[in-house]
Amino acid sequence: MNKIFNSVNLIAEIQWVIAIILAILVFATILFWFWNRINPSKLVDEMQLRTRSWWVMCIIFLFASIVHPVVTYLALGFLSFLTLREVYSLLNLREVDRSVLFFCYLSIPIQYYFAFKGFYTLFLIFIPVFMFIIVPFLLVLTGETKDIIRSMCILPTSLMLGVFGISHLALLINFPEMNSNGVSGKALLLFLIFITEANDIMQFVWGKIFGKHKILPRVSPNKTWEGFIGGVISTTVIGCLMGFLTPLNTWQLIAISSSMAVFGFMGDAIMSAVKRDFGVKDMSSAIPGHGGILDRVDSLSTTASPFFHLVYLILITS
Amino acid sequence: MKKIILIIIYSFFWKNFLKFFIGLKYVNEKTLKNKKQFILIANHNSHMDTMAIMSAIPSRYIHKVHPIAARDFFGGSLFKKILMRYLVNATLIQRDRDDPNNDPIDSMDKMLKKTRSLILFPEGSRGVPGVMAKFKKGLGYLIQRNPEINVIPVYLDNVYKTLPRGKNLILPYNCSIKFGDPIKFKSMEMDDILLSSEKAMQKLMK
Repeated sequence: MNKIFNSVNLIAEIQWVIAIILAILVFATILFWFWNRINPSKLVDEMQLRTRSWWVMCIIFLFASIVHPVVTYLALGFLSFLTLREVYSLLNLREVDRSVLFFCYLSIPIQYYFAFKGFYTLFLIFIPVFMFIIVPFLLVLTGETKDIIRSMCILPTSLMLGVFGISHLALLINFPEMNSNGVSGKALLLFLIFITEANDIMQFVWGKIFGKHKILPRVSPNKTWEGFIGGVISTTVIGCLMGFLTPLNTWQLIAISSSMAVFGFMGDAIMSAVKRDFGVKDMSSAIPGHGGILDRVDSLSTTASPFFHLVYLILITS
Repeated sequence: MKKIILIIIYSFFWKNFLKFFIGLKYVNEKTLKNKKQFILIANHNSHMDTMAIMSAIPSRYIHKVHPIAARDFFGGSLFKKILMRYLVNATLIQRDRDDPNNDPIDSMDKMLKKTRSLILFPEGSRGVPGVMAKFKKGLGYLIQRNPEINVIPVYLDNVYKTLPRGKNLILPYNCSIKFGDPIKFKSMEMDDILLSSEKAMQKLMK
């Protein structure tokens, strides 16, 4: 009886989040539509394009995360796949690396299978421990040592960010050993994605409105101290408001949300530096208005694993 | 029957495989939609090229579109021949014009007279990626004999990276296939035809 009650309760919470997300999207769509009517500019056009892409992304995400857990795993695995494909298409790897790339792609289904089955330890060590050694050795097996260092650095790093990082979202779904605390994995997943994306948007908005002092002038001229601080503060507030999705208390929520804002910023900055090195503005043109897949998930790939482990730590110590 | 096989293979399997797994982007492929007959000319760097082009052709008349392949390369064994005939819908031709009874231009011309469409790789064979080789004269002869047929340039951007020459492992890579508008020829001179087709291709490359 208690179980049924819990699951119904959970659905109510998730319904709340869906309602909030849809409300924000409707609000943004109407806002930019009127703004475009009154004062058309290039910025508003871009905002409208971005909002339209947000609609598509939100609908795909909500569909994938609500229908059935298996669909969620498959969708997240596909997201990892798209990320890797984008990285490897951009980075001009050597032709001899092709056979190793195959094994990098192969690690995606393995990693998500571990998440699906809840093999917690295997999940944690597969990429940082095993693939970290296997991938460079496979590169050695190709016999070509020219420029091998570059590939040895790129491939494990891409696996860490694109597969290990993002697959923590999948691991959140069946947050193992924690069910006695009334923790719902799906709610935690929604919470994490909500505050990470809110952080992206907030940093962008604060930076656009008040941005003056550049924080990383040589890497990304769009990032400002005003945007960063405003983003951290508003993300923390949003995190506290969305706290009903988590089993955390207010202080823990403040700590988690603010650190997620910082981690999200870091992921954004790392990808900006990579893009700057390659002289491109966006990774690809997969999502209209946003750039590539990686331009959207760069912050998720660095918030997912810290979030999971911090929440895990808090819950097992408290 | 053949039409159904081709539709299943290309319009369902290859199209979705290329789109979602390989990461192929179709640009301006709608230009084929309301053209009954055409000659597609494309750059050629990989065996994936034919698959990519065939997957973009509307399923309504896919059975009427024939990629042109070299007999000496693809016509080796009976198995290969059957594979090429039924799964690729290819027409095998002689590469050289030594035998006057078996002129490749004649056989392609015959296909066009039967309202069939052709996919040609006017560079002759798989060339160096990113470098457009001189087009073969055969294209010119064919256009001179059929001046009313639409010639559409197709540029395959990075498609060869999914299956480079000499490799047999297909891997994903974000690439695209771009269709141009039908080429307008100034005159039916051989040089003019080749020059305008090469120019149309170069325009797509940018």
